[in-house]
This record gives sequence, C-alpha cells and structure tokens, in this order.
Amino acid sequence: MELEAVVQAAKYLAAGICMGIGAIGAALGEGMIGAHALDAMARQPEMANTLLRTMVIADAIAETTGIYSLVVAIVLLFVV
Amino acid sequence: MLEHLGEELTLRFPIGGTEIAFNLVVMAVAVAVAGGLVLLSLWIRRGLSPDPDAPLSRRAALVAAAIDFFRDQLLGGVSPQLGERLLPLVATLFLYVLLCNWIGILPIPYIVSPTQDLNVALGLALLVYGSTHYYGIRTKGVRRHVAGYFEPFPFLMPLNILGDFGRTLSHGFRLFGNILGGALLAAVTPVVVLRIADLIPGVGRALGWVGQVPLAVGLNLVFGLFFGGIQALVFALLAAAYIQVTAD
Repeated sequence: MELEAVVQAAKYLAAGICMGIGAIGAALGEGMIGAHALDAMARQPEMANTLLRTMVIADAIAETTGIYSLVVAIVLLFVV
Repeated sequence: MLEHLGEELTLRFPIGGTEIAFNLVVMAVAVAVAGGLVLLSLWIRRGLSPDPDAPLSRRAALVAAAIDFFRDQLLGGVSPQLGERLLPLVATLFLYVLLCNWIGILPIPYIVSPTQDLNVALGLALLVYGSTHYYGIRTKGVRRHVAGYFEPFPFLMPLNILGDFGRTLSHGFRLFGNILGGALLAAVTPVVVLRIADLIPGVGRALGWVGQVPLAVGLNLVFGLFFGGIQALVFALLAAAYIQVTAD
C-alpha cells in the first residue's frame, strides 16, 4: 500500500518534471525563430509570405523535442 | 469528473499471443471524415460547368480560391513541375487532417479527433514516407534514388536511413501530440477551474459553473479550430518539403 502511493507520487512528479524541462528548449527555439522571422519581415515586407511559410516549418521542427516530452508525460500519466 | 477520458469503445482480438485492439470510434470517425470529403467534392463537382467559357459559379470560385491557396501556401517552396504533381496528394492530406482535427470540437460524447489517436497520425506519416519513395523514383529513376542514400559518403548510408525513420516518426508524433495535448488541456482546465472556484465560500460553486461555459468554448476554439488549422498546415507543408527533398 505504501509502495503504491510512492509510485503514484513519483509518476505525477516525473510527468511534471518531464514536461516542464522539456518545454524549455522548444520555447526558446520557437522564440528565436519568431524573433528572427519578424526582423527579416520588417526589413523586407515583400518577402513576408515566403518567410511565414519557412517560419512555420522551422517552428514545427523546433517543437519536436517538446512534443516528445509531452508524449512521454502522457505515457507516464495514463499508460504506466 | 474526468473518468470519461480513458473510456473507449474498443474491440480486442487475441492474435498469436498478442492482443490487437481496434478503437471503433476512431475508425468510424476517420472513415466518416473521408466519406464526408468525398461527398463534399462530389457536391462541388456538380456545380462546375464543363464549358470553360461559362460564367463563374460560386462553387467554381470556391475551388479556384482553394487551389490558389494550396499552390501559394502549401507548394510555394516546391518547383513548379513537381508542385503540379504533388497538388492532389498534399491538398487531400491538408483537408483530411484539417477535418479530422476540427471534428473533435463537436460536443458529442465519444466523438474525438481521429488524429489524437497515434495509429491515425503515424499511418498518415507512413503514407507520406511511402510517397517520398514513389515521387523520388518517378522523378529520378530507381538507380539515382537509391544512390541518393549513399551521399555524401557511402558509409553514411545507415545514418540516412535512420534519419528518414526519425523524420517519419516525428512527423506522426507532432500531429498526435499537438492534437491530444490540446484536447486534454481543453477537457482538464474547466474541471480544475471549477474545483478552484469551489474554494470561494458562498458564490464559488455558481461562479464556477457559469464561468465554465465560456472557458470551455474558448479553449475548444483556440485548441480545436486555431491549433487544428495550424497543425494541418504544418503537416501538409512538411509532407511537401519531405517529398521535395527526396525528389530533387
């Protein structure tokens, strides 16, 4: 009974830590991409359409590690 | 209050010692979305005139605007000849993923986005992976397509194949994680807010129940409509980018 409670608590803690730390990298990366894309758009507004498309792709790729940690957190919460 | 989250209508078959589960709701909704798309396209096709000089009907204008959007936004980075051949595949992927994401916000019990099931998302990613090879072989021929894996150095071949594998995996996981995460957040937040509001003595409970409605609607709008649309765009864009990288 004691062990069960410890395992439950560890599960929730692990999911929280996983998502919290995992989100840092993705957030920093997306922030940088957005900032630089805005810089470039302000300098060359006629390129805005192309830049937006490239920015969305780059955002999606920077987000990948965040999504991995989300998947791990969901697995920890609902599957393990 | 959140017990319904893990609830699924599942059919289980024991095959050779392992149990294979079929999530009936996801299968039905995925097929229904595909059927809905077919019906929609048939309906639009009936409004198109075979005579190219006929005055533009409203459905024809809709189709023209949609094709323009697909050409500019989804296939803008692809060379024109390849883009024309990719247009049907990428446009279909975009519309299918978009409708799959959006159907989850209907407030009907058991109806969920098929894309929040890993099998659907990975299946779509595998479809894209298969079509990279198809378009690669169609454009370059089998010889040069296979030779592409031995570049820039022959000993990097395992890395190239592993890279393909990881790319497909993250393509599927990205869609799955975004949609499932959004759906979970939209389902959990109103319950949490309700519990917090309960702590206020007197008016807390009533305040919670009243505040829950705009909160749930807003969260579903943001996560369902907005992020669903963005993720469908990203999925189709990445599909076009992956195919273009292989085919060039």
